[in-house]
Amino acid sequence: MADDSKLGVYICKDCGLDESLNLEDLEKTAKGEMRAPICKIHPFLCSSEGVQVIKDDIKNEGVNKIVIAACSPRVNTDVFDFDQLLYVTERVNLREQVIWQQPAKDDKTQAMARDYVRMGIVKANKSEVPIPNKPDIDRTILVIGGGVTGLTAALEVAAAGYKAVIVEKSPALGGWAIKSYKSFPTKPPFDKLVKPTVDTKVKTAESNANIKIHLNSTIAKIEGEPGMYDVTVNKSGTEEVFRIGAIILATGWKPYDASPLSAKYGYGRFKNVVTNVEMEDLASKGRIQRPSDGKNAQSVVFVQCAGQRDEANVPYCSSVCCNVSLKQAMYVREANPESGAYIIYKDMRTPGLYENFYKAAQDDAGIFLAKGEVRAIEEAPDGSLIVDVDNQLLGQDMKIKADVVVLATGMVSSMLPEGKAVNDLTPEYIGDWVVRKTQDGEIQELAPIPHIMNLAYRQGPEIPHLKYGFPDSHFICFPYETRRTGIYAAGAVRHPMDVQQSSTDAAGAALKAIQCLELTAQGKAVHPRAGDMTFPEFRLESCTQCRRCTVECPFGVLDEDEKGTPRAHPYRCRRCGVCMGACPQKIISFRNYSVDMISSMMKSVDVPSEGDEPFIIGLICENDAYPALDMAGLNKVHINPNFRFVSLRCLGGTNLVWIADALSKGVDGVILIGCKYGDNYQCHFVKGSQVASERLGKVQETLGRLMLESERVKQVQLAINEWNQLPKILDDFSELLKGFGPNPYKGF
Amino acid sequence: MGAERHSTVLTPDVGFVKGLIGSGADNLKRCYQCATCSVVCDLTPQDNPFPRKEMIMAQWGLKEALSKDPDIWLCHNCNDCTKYCPRGARPGDVIAALRKSAIAENAFPKFMGKLIGSPALTIIALAVPVVLFLIILSTGGYLQIPEGQVVFDKFFPIHYVDPIFITVATLVLVSFVVSVRKFWNRLNVEPYKLLAYGQFMPSFIETLKEIVAHAKFGKCGANKDRTTAHRLVLFGFIGLFITTNWAVFYLYVFSWASPYSIEADKIPSVFGGSQAMAAMAYGAFKIFGNVSALLLLIGGIMVISNRMKDRGFVSKTSSFDWTFAVIILLLVITGILSEMLRLSNLPIAYPMYFAHLVFVFYIIAYLPFSKLAHMVYRTTAITYSKMAKRDIM
Repeated sequence: MADDSKLGVYICKDCGLDESLNLEDLEKTAKGEMRAPICKIHPFLCSSEGVQVIKDDIKNEGVNKIVIAACSPRVNTDVFDFDQLLYVTERVNLREQVIWQQPAKDDKTQAMARDYVRMGIVKANKSEVPIPNKPDIDRTILVIGGGVTGLTAALEVAAAGYKAVIVEKSPALGGWAIKSYKSFPTKPPFDKLVKPTVDTKVKTAESNANIKIHLNSTIAKIEGEPGMYDVTVNKSGTEEVFRIGAIILATGWKPYDASPLSAKYGYGRFKNVVTNVEMEDLASKGRIQRPSDGKNAQSVVFVQCAGQRDEANVPYCSSVCCNVSLKQAMYVREANPESGAYIIYKDMRTPGLYENFYKAAQDDAGIFLAKGEVRAIEEAPDGSLIVDVDNQLLGQDMKIKADVVVLATGMVSSMLPEGKAVNDLTPEYIGDWVVRKTQDGEIQELAPIPHIMNLAYRQGPEIPHLKYGFPDSHFICFPYETRRTGIYAAGAVRHPMDVQQSSTDAAGAALKAIQCLELTAQGKAVHPRAGDMTFPEFRLESCTQCRRCTVECPFGVLDEDEKGTPRAHPYRCRRCGVCMGACPQKIISFRNYSVDMISSMMKSVDVPSEGDEPFIIGLICENDAYPALDMAGLNKVHINPNFRFVSLRCLGGTNLVWIADALSKGVDGVILIGCKYGDNYQCHFVKGSQVASERLGKVQETLGRLMLESERVKQVQLAINEWNQLPKILDDFSELLKGFGPNPYKGF
Repeated sequence: MGAERHSTVLTPDVGFVKGLIGSGADNLKRCYQCATCSVVCDLTPQDNPFPRKEMIMAQWGLKEALSKDPDIWLCHNCNDCTKYCPRGARPGDVIAALRKSAIAENAFPKFMGKLIGSPALTIIALAVPVVLFLIILSTGGYLQIPEGQVVFDKFFPIHYVDPIFITVATLVLVSFVVSVRKFWNRLNVEPYKLLAYGQFMPSFIETLKEIVAHAKFGKCGANKDRTTAHRLVLFGFIGLFITTNWAVFYLYVFSWASPYSIEADKIPSVFGGSQAMAAMAYGAFKIFGNVSALLLLIGGIMVISNRMKDRGFVSKTSSFDWTFAVIILLLVITGILSEMLRLSNLPIAYPMYFAHLVFVFYIIAYLPFSKLAHMVYRTTAITYSKMAKRDIM
């Protein structure tokens, strides 16, 4: 600790704190036991007078570490806002998490408040202000893909005053959208087909001085980090390298391979069975003619979900095919008023205002819709098709004679390499399992396939996918973010969507990319710790090259040198501390967050040497579990008073040392409360709570060494809105621990 | 249990769909098969309920299948379905349009079905009796307004009226026999095909009881007040039917010619020579006829006013329905006016009587083709459904 640090503790009397707690006793703890040079009790700390007291002490007494014992750090952030580069500010949550949950003037309540004051002071003492790190950055944004998403993203970037570079692999801009004969309506009353508008976007982009376009180009390599990526573009064989600051991945979708549908629907066997993509081409002539003989089609059958929502092919719904088939049914009817268009669906899905479009199409007497299943398609000698339908709404089997059958084949992400099926992908990184011979025997290893981005990242050349080849991101809170800081996915590469949604998506991703550039330039983290100016620091002299940090980092921050020593790209970092939790050597820390800090906080707690009730430390995630605990307080829900909670940036930052430290201090148990993990994870850092659970799997060894029961450590998954379950979760754990009796290390 | 699955090559009849749309079912295609209609309907059987399946059959233009469906006649147009339909597809109106189409489809001769089924052709339908009457009257030399006391017999002799209407009634009967046979044969196919006919009479009697009691109507929610109106119209018609037959009986059995004069030598033996008894029978006959006419008048006005009420949900009445309701009202108004003008001894009573006869002709002669045909089709279909154990009442 630097000598020039001076701590001031400020205790608020308001909001019932004075009525519930003995504040003088807390002042005594701060000044006496914790040796705080300054401790003041103020009747109304968040008033301008209250804040002035702190400011005066900063000015006159040289206070630079401020501990505010009052309300939750989640409120009054604008009031207690002291320059983070000059002052350490720590908030002790006596209101939401003590007095609003506990009986007033009670010994246990007072003991709890004392412990939180102790931990707050320790945390402030162990924290240092960050050292600013503001890089020179390039403010150009690379847009990969020149379809409707890419064009919109580039135009949005340019409109915001930044430069954009579009890299498009095909010879022309416009993507799939420009190949459409007509589009479904995007404006009220949503009843008529409209001309595609993407050509306007193409022209605007081509004439915009801030947008540079590379056609016939692919990405050969991307290295670097936000604000300073070096991109190698391969333009018809010649390579060009340039620097950019952030990336928007807008490579869109591709139709899935319909050849597995040959047996059931005759695709590839019968000339008049086409996909909906091929139908756009057929319709572009203004007439619908049978591919087999050019005869005008009288009857066209649309088979919805062809191969979709089917575990054997594409397990998900592409969300646009219903609208596309309604649109194409209108093509059929427009081209020939005597014709009939039949749509056989599993469910009609026309989300939002497209319901009106569905109604408009239904109103046409020649468009026939029914829920049913197409059992088989046969070809008559004249090339007509007989579609065998189990019409579930009519409750009968029927055969429909069709000139053309259109299969509503859906969309797969362009992140899928050639020859890979969505239902058969390796987890996290798309690739192949390979067997590698090592001195310890054969090991199976995942070899990721370079495809679009060719990132020079230790963790793989492409961004991780969650499922079916769609990029992994925190779907609810941060839809555009990928697991590579500075790289934002938009449009149908992210999940199936139409032109309208893709355009909205593109604008969102463009703003995210710009935000990333500006925060990086200020040396600040992007979401979810936006504004954090600390960076991870590595004491590399103690590194044993175990590679846990480089493997576990959810964001691919760390590359490795030949020996396996981590090499950080700090601007890729989101400050979650997962690496800190991973490191058995404890070499990774932040200036205001470290293994030693949390250990010291736990050690400062006054563990009762006797008593019937188990005494428990809770390590809780600051994103969901901590607010949930606050909410329990807001709702005046009583929480077991024998718990002391320590807030972590992410449960993934849990270092097993802490559990050993807590248990050897005599604590009866440790509970970890973090976000839900798995397919529908809620972790703000993607894998934090999952990583924590994997690490806990290894804690048995530690417990065994201490001769303790493994049940004394437990992880719980909690969503932010599940605060009302907290009392039961905590009481149940306490009950469980009673069965094991007190920790034998108590009192040592 | 339900329909046996059978496979046919589908040929939807787009013209049929357009026809339904044209006759009041204009939102029929909006249905997305949620089956709310079948859930809220109190008249539908649990198994294979209507009107959900009728909606998709109508959307797909399955005319053939619909013509075999007895369920459209179990519906009493309560419009509960229309009230709750989330898409405004108005199933009640669709079923009504289907009934109209079934009447036209089974009509014999077929062109009559087309003539009466098209509201635009109403003027021709009305012109037929006008021309017919004028020809008959002019050939008999009656084409003038008679002098003196107003006696309709002087203007349009009863020995002209009766042969005309007896002939018409016979033709109507023949037409109905042919149509109902056709209709029955259509209904009597799988899945409800009847193997034993033993249940006919009990089912028929049960059906008649139900009709008199308006038991099905009574279950209606959204359109409850239609029950009273329909009841009045039905009993009015029955009363007038009895009155007419009573008059025929007087004329041909008692030889009482209109205007009635109950002379001593003409008192039939049933009255035992008592003039007072004969006068009482005569009075009862007059009161019965006038009360029936009043029931029809009140019922007719209620039908029209119900149709004009805003119910908070859109239910369209087709012009087919309107034409028919208006003609019934005109029929009863011209009838009552004829009587009043005759009693006031005003010569304008004669043209009024002529008009009345024209409307009477319309109602009787076109019975198998107009909306009124429902009384035969519905009775047949409900009887069939009861025999097929499909009716839930």
